[in-house]
Amino acid sequence: MLLSSSKGYKVINNWLRKKGYKPFLFQQQTWQHIIDGRSGLVNAPTGTGKTFSVFLGALIQFINAHPDNYLSKQKNGLQLLWITPLRALAKDIGRAMEEVIGELELQWKVGIRNGDTSISDRQKQKRQMPEVLIITPESLHLLLAQKGYPDVVKDLKIIAVDEWHELIGGKRGVQVELAICRIVGLKRAGLTDDSWQMTDDGVKESKTVKEKTAANSQLSAINFCIWGISATIGNLSQAAEVLLASLFQLSDSTPLFKTNKGTEEQKSLKEISPVIVRANLHKRLIIDSILPDEIEKYPWAGHLGIKLAQKILPILEKSKTTLIFINTRGMSEQWYQTLLNIAPELSGVIALHHGSIENELRGWVEDALHEGKLKAVVCTASLDLGVDFRPVETVIQVGSPKGVARFLQRAGRSGHSPDAVSKIYFLPTHSLELIEAAALKSAVEKTIIESREPLALCYDVLTQYLCTLAVSEGFTPAKIFKEVTSTFCFQHLTDKDWNEILRFITVGGTALQQYDEYKKVEVEDGVYKIKSRRVAMRHRMHIGTIVSDAMIKVKFMTGGYIGVIEEYFISRLEPGDTFTLAGRQLELIIIKDMTVLVKKSSAKKSIVPSWLGGRLPLSQSLGKLLREKLNEAGDQVINGVVSNDIELEVLHPLFALQQNLSHIPNANELLIEQIETSDGFHLFVYPFEGRLVHEAMAALLAYRISKTTPITFSIAMNDYGFELLSDQPIPVDDTNVYKLFSPDDLLLDIQRSVNATEMAKRKFRDIAVIGGLIFQGFPGEYKKQRHLQASAGLLFNVFNEYEPNNVLLRQAYQEVFDQQMEEVRLRDMLNRIQASKIILTYPQRLTPFCFPIKVDSMRENLTSEKLADRVKRMQQSLYK
Amino acid sequence: MMLLLRRTLQRPVTLLYKQQSFFSLKSPFKKKIVTSITTFLLPKGPLLTYLCDPFMQAPVQHKILGQTFWLSAQRCVFWEKQKALILSDLHLGKTGHFRKAGIAVPQAVYKEDLQRLLDLLHYFKPEQLIVVGDLFHSKANKELQLFERWRSDFEQLKIKLVRGNHDILKKDWYAAINIEVIEGTLTIEGFSFTHDQCDADATTYSFCGHIHPGIVLNGLGKQTLRAPCFYFSPNHCILPAFGKFTGLANIHPAKKDVVFAIADDVLIKL
Repeated sequence: MLLSSSKGYKVINNWLRKKGYKPFLFQQQTWQHIIDGRSGLVNAPTGTGKTFSVFLGALIQFINAHPDNYLSKQKNGLQLLWITPLRALAKDIGRAMEEVIGELELQWKVGIRNGDTSISDRQKQKRQMPEVLIITPESLHLLLAQKGYPDVVKDLKIIAVDEWHELIGGKRGVQVELAICRIVGLKRAGLTDDSWQMTDDGVKESKTVKEKTAANSQLSAINFCIWGISATIGNLSQAAEVLLASLFQLSDSTPLFKTNKGTEEQKSLKEISPVIVRANLHKRLIIDSILPDEIEKYPWAGHLGIKLAQKILPILEKSKTTLIFINTRGMSEQWYQTLLNIAPELSGVIALHHGSIENELRGWVEDALHEGKLKAVVCTASLDLGVDFRPVETVIQVGSPKGVARFLQRAGRSGHSPDAVSKIYFLPTHSLELIEAAALKSAVEKTIIESREPLALCYDVLTQYLCTLAVSEGFTPAKIFKEVTSTFCFQHLTDKDWNEILRFITVGGTALQQYDEYKKVEVEDGVYKIKSRRVAMRHRMHIGTIVSDAMIKVKFMTGGYIGVIEEYFISRLEPGDTFTLAGRQLELIIIKDMTVLVKKSSAKKSIVPSWLGGRLPLSQSLGKLLREKLNEAGDQVINGVVSNDIELEVLHPLFALQQNLSHIPNANELLIEQIETSDGFHLFVYPFEGRLVHEAMAALLAYRISKTTPITFSIAMNDYGFELLSDQPIPVDDTNVYKLFSPDDLLLDIQRSVNATEMAKRKFRDIAVIGGLIFQGFPGEYKKQRHLQASAGLLFNVFNEYEPNNVLLRQAYQEVFDQQMEEVRLRDMLNRIQASKIILTYPQRLTPFCFPIKVDSMRENLTSEKLADRVKRMQQSLYK
Repeated sequence: MMLLLRRTLQRPVTLLYKQQSFFSLKSPFKKKIVTSITTFLLPKGPLLTYLCDPFMQAPVQHKILGQTFWLSAQRCVFWEKQKALILSDLHLGKTGHFRKAGIAVPQAVYKEDLQRLLDLLHYFKPEQLIVVGDLFHSKANKELQLFERWRSDFEQLKIKLVRGNHDILKKDWYAAINIEVIEGTLTIEGFSFTHDQCDADATTYSFCGHIHPGIVLNGLGKQTLRAPCFYFSPNHCILPAFGKFTGLANIHPAKKDVVFAIADDVLIKL
């Protein structure tokens, strides 16, 4: 059907025209695809009407299907399932949708389903599903854990997955994949099975062949489709494939999609492949660096950048509202304090926002942002996503954003009024970081952006999913295996592993037969079910893949909730100690019942909590760009070619010193510096591949060197390079250096060099929680369940010793290789190094390149104050 | 206090390759030692001697008030004069308790605990077993039947259980399998046995359990290893948990205290 001639389009277009809007091209394209019943991915930045591309498409489709009574038709059952990663987004999207429905005078209802939805609302939804349900991946699985879920999706036409780029790289993405494969499975079953029908009255009746065929043709008229909505990522077409994998599984005999008004015969492979609709809307972006006055005096190492705090005051002054992005929660607390100290007049108009601050307070900050009451907000990744705050005109990024995508995402939070320009300032926390600003600029110019790699074979999520199905309707393995293996994540799932997971949830691995009472999933007539109500309830409580560290609530003695803090941090404090949270100085009084009771403190000094959240490594694309920028820097120093980048110009003295003492590597060189200091013999290597790869590479190199000479090392690394330190000369020279960086025997050498057990133990915690091995207790029932508490570390030890082949345990080791050591990236790097020139230098003193790494390794033993002094002294001695 | 779920800080890691030849050792348990202990403790030296065969490590003699006690790396103490094997916190039936709730902990841990106890009885040939609390983890379950069978093989052995907070089974059951249950404190020859050290009689030397003492061993290069341990203060001893499916609570010994860490079945005096 042609979009422009359809009734629905006319209705929607009229409405838009009345409001003075004109649909974007990409929106119209999406609408056309939706009424054609095709599935795909919309690629559009936030704030460009991406919601309407799919939502209005759903309305058009509905109006087309009911051209005569679309205004009066109600109780249509669930039509559009809207999956969003953020709870906070649900409300705003819901409101926007309701507005449209209201103005069009449709009888549709919009429901929200997430952790905040009240039980009465859930019951209401159960009785009569709203036409649109906005849901998080977790709540979607909870829906699948409900008896009768197939009825919920029987009228479903469209699944929309919002912010798919945020979901795809993580386990929540796997959850979405699994939920989709189930719904698609149900839809397929509806086409071929008698047991499940698509009749409106829901009455089950046996059908004659004739009736069945009739039903089938009726069904094929239903345009069931799946649409993802994603910001730009490097692997957009892969993202589409992952999302739609189960839909496009060609082996199945009953394809769900309908082709462009063509017959079955005309269906070519091209037609049924996923569509990607690109918005191609370019928003102007200005990137500026905040430059220190004298580069020689700006610290060469550091994480905080507080020294430049004065410089951001005029920026705050100039713009209506500014978001200041800080990489970690701990540092954001420090920045907030500093800003208040240097500009007391800001108190009341600046706020702090991070993931550990109490919800209500965060809500208040967000509301105040909307209303334009705040001049500035110091925030972390907690404000990366979400609805647009129109008053925000400027964004400041403090420290490396570690990746192009994140930087753009943050920049995009500013300048939302039509035709406004996004403005982002980059504030370096140490001198060398300024190159990153230059690299980010060229990334934006060349539109280089990172990929988000989808995960494979997450046994923990699968285990949870199978239990979810067992809680509600039960499942038959043959059918579900077929569905699960149609997803991207589990396409290579073997029969052996599948059976092991089934064994794990039914008999609990190895056991002492007659003395065992393991009870979880039971098999009855081939159907796998959880029958115990208690086990079922416990499972429902634990659906989800976000595992946070054990958090403790922080409350005032007098009442009043402040936020949460990691148990790890608080366990090191004594009563009377002062710490900072949510921008307040708090004195610890007592820890009671998983709550920290505190009072306000006026102490001058306080401890800033460190949240153990992952320190993200530098992305591969950004690393590559950095190496290219060094090319230019080298050119500038050696050949006097003046760079276009102000950052490189400013850094000139630093680079000149680097070249003078050692060398500036160009993009196809690897620099290795060997320096002798009073600490011992240092070997610095600069691959620019991010700290995780460096960590693994350092261990690998240490191991390979120690194979020829007995030698002890200590290791340090940052995102640019790593250091090996020894008390004896390190035998690396041009005779053996290529061999030391060889990709041969990589896996074997890694296994021998890295304490993989320790690393796997850390990974196992999340897996154990997701896989249902750790029971965190019912809310408010903490004490009763103590007999079922076991720490992840203990479980890891027990499994490692007694059931080493357990799937979840194997997954922990696999995750160490894939994620902790980024094995693929490590191998790529070694191959690159083999093809490049390795430059060995022997500088007389520490160089600007090695300085930050050296300081990082001293950090452990020194307080930050002393460290700052020492950095200053070291730096002075270097400039002599 | 609930066992703290902690994740080790991600920070620069230092590795030691002093004795690179260890990587070529062949026996499986030697490899285990190499991976977990040597990295931390080797530079200090003495462990090397045990590398030959750690399971053959003889019990370590420890004198308290003139009496001879033998500490075993298998997490118990043998009192020579009384021919008594003293142990604590076995938490038998814990795996069964978890499994009943749908948490698939390998049952082999439980089996191994009983096997180890059997080996110790053969080795020390004690006349009595003094359990300083927490023999069983929780309510009765089928795993107890295996213990009952085990008990019937050692009918002559006297078992004295100082009731711990986890021992909540019915009185009849203890009586039926001939376990003497003592409330509070058991005193023998001037030594007292109490489950929780907080409730112990300060005037006598007491053996306690309850907390599952663990100690953090600091190796070179900022790496740490947590291990169960025996803790001896001037007036009491806290025993490690005998059961392997048990957590650890860190202790912070004072100068005059003596601590024996148990790292991979080897006792290390600290």
